[in-house]
Amino acid sequence: MREKATVLNSDDIERIIKRISHEIIERNKGSENIIFIGIQKRGVPLAKRIKENIESLYSSEIKLGKLDISFYRDDINEKIKSDVNITEIPFEIKGKDIILVDDVLFTGRTIRAAMDAIMDFGRPKSIQLVVLIDRGHRELPIRADYVGKNLPTSLNEFVEVKLNETDNEDKVSICWI
Amino acid sequence: MEFENLKSKNKENLIIKKGFVINPQTQEKFEADILILDGKISKISKDITHNNADSVREINAEGLYVCPGFVDMHVHLREPGNEEEEDVESGVRSALRGGITSIACMPNTMPVLDSCYLIEYIKIKAREINYNIYPVAAITKNLQGEVLNEIGLLINSGAVAFSDDGRGVQNARLMYEAMRYGGQFKALFILHEEDGNFSDGGLVNEGYYSAMLGLEGISSLSEDLMVQRDIMLSKVSGARIHITHISSAKSVELIARAKAEGVNITCDTTCEHLFFNDSVLTGYDTNYKIKPPIRSEYDRLAIIEGLRNGTIDAIASDHAPHLLLEKNISFKEASFGSIGLETLFKASLTKLFYEEKLSLEKIISLISLNPAKILNIEGGEIKVGSIANIAIIDINNENIYESDNIISRSKNSSFIGQRLNGEIRYTIVNGKIGFSNN
Amino acid sequence: MDKKKDILSLDEFSVEQINEFLIQTESFAEILKRDIKKVPALRGKTIINLFFEPSTRTKVSFEIAAKRLSADLINFNTSSSSLRKGESEIDTIKTINSMENDLIIIRHSDSGYINYFAKNVPVPVVNAGDGKHEHPTQALLDLYTIYKNFTNLKDLKIAIIGDILNSRVARSDIKLFNKMGMDVKVVAPSMLMPEDFSSFKTKFANNIDEVISDADVLYMLRMQFERQERKFYPSIKEYNKFLSLDMARFNLMKKDAILMHPGPVNRGIEISGEVMDIETLNKDKIKINAQISNGVAVRMALLYYALS
Repeated sequence: MREKATVLNSDDIERIIKRISHEIIERNKGSENIIFIGIQKRGVPLAKRIKENIESLYSSEIKLGKLDISFYRDDINEKIKSDVNITEIPFEIKGKDIILVDDVLFTGRTIRAAMDAIMDFGRPKSIQLVVLIDRGHRELPIRADYVGKNLPTSLNEFVEVKLNETDNEDKVSICWI
Repeated sequence: MEFENLKSKNKENLIIKKGFVINPQTQEKFEADILILDGKISKISKDITHNNADSVREINAEGLYVCPGFVDMHVHLREPGNEEEEDVESGVRSALRGGITSIACMPNTMPVLDSCYLIEYIKIKAREINYNIYPVAAITKNLQGEVLNEIGLLINSGAVAFSDDGRGVQNARLMYEAMRYGGQFKALFILHEEDGNFSDGGLVNEGYYSAMLGLEGISSLSEDLMVQRDIMLSKVSGARIHITHISSAKSVELIARAKAEGVNITCDTTCEHLFFNDSVLTGYDTNYKIKPPIRSEYDRLAIIEGLRNGTIDAIASDHAPHLLLEKNISFKEASFGSIGLETLFKASLTKLFYEEKLSLEKIISLISLNPAKILNIEGGEIKVGSIANIAIIDINNENIYESDNIISRSKNSSFIGQRLNGEIRYTIVNGKIGFSNN
Repeated sequence: MDKKKDILSLDEFSVEQINEFLIQTESFAEILKRDIKKVPALRGKTIINLFFEPSTRTKVSFEIAAKRLSADLINFNTSSSSLRKGESEIDTIKTINSMENDLIIIRHSDSGYINYFAKNVPVPVVNAGDGKHEHPTQALLDLYTIYKNFTNLKDLKIAIIGDILNSRVARSDIKLFNKMGMDVKVVAPSMLMPEDFSSFKTKFANNIDEVISDADVLYMLRMQFERQERKFYPSIKEYNKFLSLDMARFNLMKKDAILMHPGPVNRGIEISGEVMDIETLNKDKIKINAQISNGVAVRMALLYYALS
């Protein structure tokens, strides 16, 4: 894998977090009924940043869950991912507006799996989707409600997201496979 | 590879040219031709020329060793009763493949060789196929360890020795009476030493590996106690005893001491016990499930030392054929035993000559002259006037031993997959080429 | 095609893999805490539970684990009668092979049978206990239980007490605990120990009182009367005196020490009824039920691993 171009740097990401925070507040008319669920791995720190940003603006506490979708994948017959991350949703989600956060939206299959998983925990009022990058090539009728950046790609490219919490730097780049 | 029709009565005269003759009796090796006329060795000397070229078949033995045919004093032929595993004829072919010209066959057949007519039956079978088979009769009726057999009558019928092989006589008093009575006939007792209280339920040597593998152990005490018992019984009764397939260091020590004290005792071990230690069991390969069990490296080294210093007189195969379905199951359910006629020489050569540097003459003695002497039968020598029982061997050959190579009706060999040295080129039995392989 | 992932023993797993496995198991334990305790991870997979030896706990534990992951599990009970040696077992294997399946869980009363079996089937095989040899899933759930309690495994003092000779749990535990750097001591009378146990690489004592106040983990084994082909131990009374855990000894255990047992407990033999009855009040100390619930999570993780 070879890096082709840097798409977002640390400042860009920070700006996006701030913008999306405001969009979420605007659309949900505040933060009372929302909870965040980050998809393992990099959706979790992204969700945490947005959540903390909103908390600092409205000084209210918002719940954050972690979700690993390995058990819900639709490609088990081709491959089962053998490393599984922890799922942690230690609160009631019934009737809540869930802000689901992931780093890259691609085929839409991860989001399908995440929604199935969430439904096993209860019946939320709504699920809204935040992604840092939307790279196109959807295979399912799924779209994001909040997009950091739309990034048209070809199928032989790969979007690499690095975050401080997981990779010690904030950077999004596009790579050759 | 060729086997002669065993039943054909054709006699031919043979001349073996340019081989190295090994004479275990004198521990000599020398280059010579051997002329065989009418089934007997008629001349041994350099550059024998013969007049009537047509009636003498020539064997070129250049680069090969010419040995007395091997004598295997512990073979299970399975006939009568279990011919699906082996019968006299298939067993003999297997023996020929191994350079063996005489065998002693054990009595644990169905029915047990415990009556005169069965001993005679085996002798007749042997004559039909021109092979030297010496039946061993059971010590006790039906090998039950309860009632003594007709030792006198059985000797008259041709029993070469007596053995309750497979279990051994557990009752010391009965063994003692057998020895006392056998003494009247100068009977030889071939003793399988196993104390059932120590061995029942056991599968492998009690030790490091049995603990690790969770397999029930058989302590070497099972053997040692019985060896000690029978040495004492022999001392008192004066009976001639031969301990077969000894496996433990302690047994070697006990027998060495008994010999030094003048007890009328000899013993043999098997190729498995001199070749393997119990670390081979880690794969649960049932071909290593034998009795007595393959023991520790410490025991194996003592066996090697016993062979080197003469405490152990002979090597036998304990050829024990079993059907695949008795071996291709869990270790616990599998039967005990490995076939061994075809590997007797090769395994001995590989381990003792190439690794342990024993002399070739010594090794040949262990599998020809010594067992012949113990059984008090002809064989083990190459000399003018004696019947031509000869194995012509190539010691330079080296091969992986494969199941497909096996001639025996059963394929349960511990040596499958082993790199073995040596090859049999000709086996000559009673003056006839029984097997050739060039 | 990758090599099929048999789990016959834990010998092939490195310390790093075991550590990783303990962490991964948390993700499976989490599923068991949900209201809906089921995920579709192994949907469409068929698992055969092949028990040649009677078992309740292990069989049910695997069954729950498979069902929590949405696999179809089929119980196949068969007695390994050897009327005609060999035939029944070979035929059973052929029958199993001809059924569509993705994984086979197997228990057999003969040590090493699993190795033979695994060679003859094309799908991954998970050892649910073979004779006196190995019980790898029990060892992993034991380790996981200890890990949940202490986190740091290194140099933990563990005493394994009872019929070591006939115990596959002991063999698997000893190997795994040693591998993880724990300080293992076995406690048994001479006739319930192999004569040469140097392969275990453990310390050894004859009497529970030598370890009771020193051990961090007290692991009591079941007296396997059904597996003792040669019975030499004199009596239960003798066992109680030197090897059992009664209330007086329970009170001598270290403050943070835990008590474990692979189950089912013979009340009044290895553990007194009195001690068993206080388990609900002493969950921090008596981990026998925790072992059972941890067993499901561990087996879920293993099934998932074997099929990935």
